[in-house]
Amino acid sequence: MDRGWTRYNRHVSALAVASVAAAMAGCSGSSLDNTAEPAPTSELVIGVVVPKSGPYQQIGQDMQKGWTAYLDEHGNKLGGHPVRIVEADEGDGGPTARAAADRLITNEHVHAIVGVANADAVNNIAGPATAARVPFLGTGGRPSTLKDLSYTWHTSFASTDYGTAAGPYVKSTVDGPVYVVGPDYQGGKDQIGGFVTGFTAAGGKLANPGAQPTYTPWPGDNNFGPWLTKIKDSGAKAVYAFYAGPAAVAFVKQYQQFNVGLPLYGPAFLTEGAALAAQGQAAVGITTVATYDPTLSNPGNDAFVAAFKAKYNGSSPNLYVETMYAAGALLDKAVAVTGAKLTSESINAAIGKVSDVTSPRGTWKLSPSTHTPVQHWCVRRAQPSGTSVANTVVTADLTTVGG
Amino acid sequence: MAGDLIVALDGVAFGLLLYCVAAGLSLSLGVAGVFQLSHGALYLAGACLAWWFAAQGTWLGFVVALLVGLATGAAAGGGLAELLRHVPDHLDQALVTIGAGLILVEVLTSGYGAQARTVLPPPGLDGAVTLLGRAYPVYRLTIIAVAAVLSAALHLTVERSRPGVLVRAVAADPRHVATLGVEPRRVHLAVMMAGGALAVFAGVLGAPILGPAPGLDTTVLTLSLIIIVAGGLGSMRGALLAALIVGQVHTSVAVAWPTAAPFLLAALLLVGLAWRTHHHLITARVA
Repeated sequence: MDRGWTRYNRHVSALAVASVAAAMAGCSGSSLDNTAEPAPTSELVIGVVVPKSGPYQQIGQDMQKGWTAYLDEHGNKLGGHPVRIVEADEGDGGPTARAAADRLITNEHVHAIVGVANADAVNNIAGPATAARVPFLGTGGRPSTLKDLSYTWHTSFASTDYGTAAGPYVKSTVDGPVYVVGPDYQGGKDQIGGFVTGFTAAGGKLANPGAQPTYTPWPGDNNFGPWLTKIKDSGAKAVYAFYAGPAAVAFVKQYQQFNVGLPLYGPAFLTEGAALAAQGQAAVGITTVATYDPTLSNPGNDAFVAAFKAKYNGSSPNLYVETMYAAGALLDKAVAVTGAKLTSESINAAIGKVSDVTSPRGTWKLSPSTHTPVQHWCVRRAQPSGTSVANTVVTADLTTVGG
Repeated sequence: MAGDLIVALDGVAFGLLLYCVAAGLSLSLGVAGVFQLSHGALYLAGACLAWWFAAQGTWLGFVVALLVGLATGAAAGGGLAELLRHVPDHLDQALVTIGAGLILVEVLTSGYGAQARTVLPPPGLDGAVTLLGRAYPVYRLTIIAVAAVLSAALHLTVERSRPGVLVRAVAADPRHVATLGVEPRRVHLAVMMAGGALAVFAGVLGAPILGPAPGLDTTVLTLSLIIIVAGGLGSMRGALLAALIVGQVHTSVAVAWPTAAPFLLAALLLVGLAWRTHHHLITARVA
């Protein structure tokens, strides 16, 4: 090998390594230098942060639909004030979400921030929002690591709530040890941790090695083969898994390909929205706990589902749509009692005075201590429905969890 | 124990799938010398083709996707070779190919809807067989077989055949080759076409395991870069070894030690670079 070739080889290798580093770090969104004038007091400026890139892009589209649905239904007004929306990208929850929060607060002077799918993005938004005294209404998982709650509210759930609701239920339906598995990020650890707490408190035993939950690398390559093999060897009688979006699709498909053959349980995300459509027949029989399902029967939901289907070619709303719609409902209620002079502080104080919210899932209380909903949970099972697969509510009133 | 063997087997299947992707990049980057950062986007294109033509798993659709994939991949590789003919600087090449890749990914994303899409294997390959008392998907065994044939063919072509000698000669000293009456540009073009075709081919082949999903292009590109750098640019044997190691890191190691897996890939990169730098120093001194 001659020296020229060696030098060339090293030069290209160095460039390739730099590219790997850049690809691994991801592209952090840079904020444009918008020097917008502060909005007139009568106008309500809301920053809407949803994933427009990254693995939860499709979930972001659902969230956007839920937010739009509420505003369209209410003449683009919240609490009597016309609303101006500033959109931002959550990305994969990391630096992009942080840049979005900085831009909305510093450049756009929003009164409140709404959105976020990934629990990891919550800390990135809640930090700057709290420092600037801007209320943040989260619509995805609330991580257990968030300490200062003064300006953070969730219309969705605390990430541990699903497991708290599911634990005793799975114990009562499965005779034997359960294998638990989820992605290795804070939201995954909360989802799985909540389940382990609830399940073991009810007397359940884990089938995992060392009775410790198993976490798969995140962001991973969505090859779950190795874990599925381990699950079959564990002697488990059932599996409880948390995955969302593309990872949920891959997990459920491979669960079938590897013939695991054990009952599969999980939080709603496992078979929600576009994921369920992509899983198809592989999802049949999967049992999930949920706070919302389009088939839940109450007058508000019936009208909501009908309007949504009419607008989006017959497709049903899902939990991502509903929590954003609920954020609209909560803000509407709070801004209505804020008074004529809108400031982010006065809106935040008014949110704290809202005791209950009515959204398509029903009426729920906003806990004054945790700032998350205290709400009803149901059990669903994915079943064939015509040529596709749909969730069917099998236990409408499982339990009340939250707060 | 038997379960661990199945996990290791899965690592071989995953590693060989990665080898199919990385082999194309190794040709483009290591042999043709083009800093091809749209390679992950080409894989995504292959996965999308599989989804468009064969989402429900038909042989006809699968074969059509493969043929269309090979043609479009070769065209894309050839197009890039022509586009970059007067762009000798690697940083410039990186910018052009990143840009081309981003455009391709955006077009594909609007086509498949930015959500995870599943592709079923063709009939007969969609079931599971019993290995060591455990069900194992037939399609993953198929990937092992296809990749084994491909790696043997690539090895023979690049290292043993006359065209392979020519390709390596052009990579080492294009001007010298030109004096022999061979136009280096043609060899260049052919290698880039092969690289592009391999990327899209791997996308079609891998779609039932790594199907269209947001971020797939970046994942595939990152793993491919790690494999060819750790394995040695342009070395098919090195890439195969590195791909098999990456496959095990993503399966056996990830199961036993999930938090360490990402760091081990970086470690692999460092070891590969350090070892080969040392090796080159020795050869340089001897020469």
